[in-house]
Amino acid sequence: MKVDLSRLPQILEGHPKDPQSLIGVLQDIQKEYRFLPGEALEETSRALKVPLSKVYSVSTFYNAFSLTPRGEKVIRICVGTTCHIRGARQVQQQLENLLKIKPGQTTEDGKFSLETVACVGACAMAPVVVVNDEFHGGVNVNSARRLIRRSKKA
Amino acid sequence: MVTITINGKVVQAREGEMLLAVCKREGIDIPALCHHDAVEPFGACRLCMVEITKDEWNGWRNYVTSCLYPVEEGLIVQTHSPKVIELRRTVLDLQLARCPNSPELQKLAAEHGVNSTQYEIVPDGDNCILCGLCTRVCARLGFHAIATVGRGHHKEVAPPLKEAPPDCVGCLSCVQVCPTNNITYEDKGNVRTIWGKKFELLRCSKTGKATITKAFAEALSTRCDIPIDYFDVSDDEHRRQLALKMGSLADWAPKEQS
Amino acid sequence: MRIKTPAQLKGLQKKCRADIDKHPRRVLICCGPGCLANGAQKVSDEFKKILKKKRLRGFSVEALAETGCHGFCEQGPVVVIEPDGTFYTRVKVKDVAEIVETTIKSNKVVKRLLFTDPATGKIIRKYADIPFYSHQRRIALRNIGKIAQCDINEYISVGGYQALGKALTKMTPEGIIDEVSTSGLRGRGGGGFPTGRKWATCARIEESPHYVICNGDEGDPGAFMDRAIMEGDPHSILEGMIIAARAVGAHEGYIYVREEYPLAVVNLARAVEQARELGFIGDDIFGSGFSFDLHINRGGGAFVCGESSALMKSVAGEVGEPRAKYVRSVQKGLFDKPTVLNNVESYTNIPVIIDKGGAWFAGIGTPKSTGTKAFSLVGKVRNSGLIEVPMGTSLREIIYDIGGGIQGDRPFKAVQTGGPSGGCLPEPKLDLPVDFDTLTEAGSMMGSGGMIVMDDRTCVVDVAKYFLSFLNDESCGKCVPCREGLYQLHALAAAVSEGRATEDDLDKMEKLSEMIVIGSLCGLGKSGPNPFLSTIRYFRDEYLAHIRDKRCPAGVCQELIRYEVDADKCDGCTACIVVCAQNAITGKKKELHVIDQDKCDKCGACYAVCKRDAIKVY
Repeated sequence: MKVDLSRLPQILEGHPKDPQSLIGVLQDIQKEYRFLPGEALEETSRALKVPLSKVYSVSTFYNAFSLTPRGEKVIRICVGTTCHIRGARQVQQQLENLLKIKPGQTTEDGKFSLETVACVGACAMAPVVVVNDEFHGGVNVNSARRLIRRSKKA
Repeated sequence: MVTITINGKVVQAREGEMLLAVCKREGIDIPALCHHDAVEPFGACRLCMVEITKDEWNGWRNYVTSCLYPVEEGLIVQTHSPKVIELRRTVLDLQLARCPNSPELQKLAAEHGVNSTQYEIVPDGDNCILCGLCTRVCARLGFHAIATVGRGHHKEVAPPLKEAPPDCVGCLSCVQVCPTNNITYEDKGNVRTIWGKKFELLRCSKTGKATITKAFAEALSTRCDIPIDYFDVSDDEHRRQLALKMGSLADWAPKEQS
Repeated sequence: MRIKTPAQLKGLQKKCRADIDKHPRRVLICCGPGCLANGAQKVSDEFKKILKKKRLRGFSVEALAETGCHGFCEQGPVVVIEPDGTFYTRVKVKDVAEIVETTIKSNKVVKRLLFTDPATGKIIRKYADIPFYSHQRRIALRNIGKIAQCDINEYISVGGYQALGKALTKMTPEGIIDEVSTSGLRGRGGGGFPTGRKWATCARIEESPHYVICNGDEGDPGAFMDRAIMEGDPHSILEGMIIAARAVGAHEGYIYVREEYPLAVVNLARAVEQARELGFIGDDIFGSGFSFDLHINRGGGAFVCGESSALMKSVAGEVGEPRAKYVRSVQKGLFDKPTVLNNVESYTNIPVIIDKGGAWFAGIGTPKSTGTKAFSLVGKVRNSGLIEVPMGTSLREIIYDIGGGIQGDRPFKAVQTGGPSGGCLPEPKLDLPVDFDTLTEAGSMMGSGGMIVMDDRTCVVDVAKYFLSFLNDESCGKCVPCREGLYQLHALAAAVSEGRATEDDLDKMEKLSEMIVIGSLCGLGKSGPNPFLSTIRYFRDEYLAHIRDKRCPAGVCQELIRYEVDADKCDGCTACIVVCAQNAITGKKKELHVIDQDKCDKCGACYAVCKRDAIKVY
């Protein structure tokens, strides 16, 4: 897929040009494009003087990065211990059924991605679901359905 | 110099030496699959683990990888204690579950009394034991063509973006260090293929033998400041020429007919 | 305007205090993690809207402060009115107008929003009187909930940065280390290593440069203490770090924040800018000649990066693979240089220790575990939230006196502490004191402070399987015992949970666990088997029920349970039919519903939504 990389030099400008900046640069690219395009990795390798194999290694090691495009709305189900014992599994299964995708996948129309995350630090409000940067606490099977309905409209 | 005890024998070692080197020098055979003298120790396979204690530790024992543990005055080492043996067997058993078809692994495991794995065999397992030798050697040579990809159980060794690695020069170092011969390559005519990348093979102008890839020759030429035409001739042929020259210089050589 | 002397700082404190005290009443809106997830931002925005419009005499919108986590998350969104300490609970947007009219304008209370103690039925106005708070002693959490989240003036108004001034102008680096050693402070990240000793070792090393790092990679699921501190009182961390840097001779520091905490990154970055403006970060701090700069690094999303050597690799832009710690990080840490790495909560305690003295701190808690500890008390407990108690407080006091006991009065089963490295402790162990050593002897550990309460509807086999799955995902994959061992241990736990295991498998698991503990490279692997080892120690019968009887007593393990409709209770409301993804439930409206056991995938959605208690689990 062709990606418009014109913003890439600007992104790279915001960081010192050394290997230490790698993770920070990749996070900015991920935020901009909703994934890490191969060409962006190559450009990063050149700019920071880090071997391409190492850039790729780091891109695949950390959860924050995705090599395939994520949806407009990324739905992250917290599967931390507290959420787990308070019913995160039911919420997850409900969301999987409604969106017809499994965690790690994106809907065909590119609108939703589903992911699991192990603890976002809002444990007192377990189970927690995060839609992009919005936190929703105390989510149950019914409120999960409402959440998807609202997200589809927005 | 530092004095330590290995398996009951008092031994001298140099300051800063790793236990594994000392054990090897004493003729003790310790398995170490992820170890190679050409690269820094890694501590991944855990087979070289030994049991250590000191008099002042009041019987407390620790288990450390000998490849990475520097000698200390008064260290008491057991290289084949029951717990250490059990650990090696467990590691080999677990590796067999991941790579059930590797003859090298099967042999090493059998030597430790493990003939088959008691664990769930990992589906679609290849023979990569993730020792990291290939990637570490490649990095040491300065090419960084391959690296580990992913994390945890689905970690693997692969070229970047899983495509032909731009930095690979086809030197075959990774093939040579792999303990399970998992990395394959093909030399056919004047083409070498490895990691999905094709390379032009140079041939010795004197003997016609395939020597190295053009890419590797160019890299060596630049880095070591060697004239590129050095690679026109194979190492064997270079050695032969050199031997002749040395021979002619020695005073017992038959004098040239003037 | 840069602060150059402690006297100048005192002057600024007076001014900041006056700026705050001039408001007859202050509205503190909790915007901590729990309340935010519960809609606190909308409540805050409504307050701002109304106050801007109303123009109450002597009261402006500046009297409003968005604070960090007040702690009583279960009752959120929380709004506190100072100076009385009136505590409003579960505040909704529609309540805001009434609060403004009644309490802010007229200093009366809105009774229905006050806290009612379920034990006594009493309505309590002030938060200090609520048992949840009155049993606590907040030192690390001293400012959170009391000052605006990210405002250096508010931090200064309560005495902030004065400890730094004292450390730089009246103490030597050795003196600072002595004070910290006297305090007995041990690493709050869970390792419990004496902080003073760590600093002293680093300070002695000649090789330079030295670094200080703050570990904000709070990866333990169930723990959010560090998140609350990073968001709610970031300046206390900065102050602690700068003091530490002075003590060990470092001029550069890093705060590593996990990727899943974007708000913490924002607040810390703002705090750093504010501190820089006033001269607490930069050159010649307090005119002492000491210079220090601070960077903030964001993690990439990897639990293993909470391990110090992996964290340092991540700061350097590499994959977070730990290294064997035969040579400690204080000698060879970040970029192979001497490095002091401490946890968020450890740093937060430093300014108080410098201010009040190490001996004062050592007088709290127990002789070997001094001071207090913050905990996130969560799970099936009534009062979920963030608390802080002196070390040595018993689990029972925490769970019952502060936590209010189990939700729905269900029987207590176990409390899980120490995150994935810890374990579960049963009811007979509830009188154990919480400290660094006692829980470890019992087979668990205090860890970073996550405390997850479980009732009889939690299956320990499922919990062990859950943790092993988590650790397996998060393993860096470098060493065999962790990568392959935890994978196989998880497979065996899954077999138990699904009724496929034998008793021999339990032996296998125990032997494998021992080898993983001995053979793993880092703490993640070494403590990986703990969730299994602690549960099999105290709940062997539950494992055996799964194996011998193919039964899950808690009604959790999906392969071993079935859901059935109770004909006496079902009123045909179709709520379960709506949520069943397998279309396994049949029945028309107002008629008895029936679950087809062949189609049912045991997901439990019907059980979760039934309001008539008509779905039974067997």
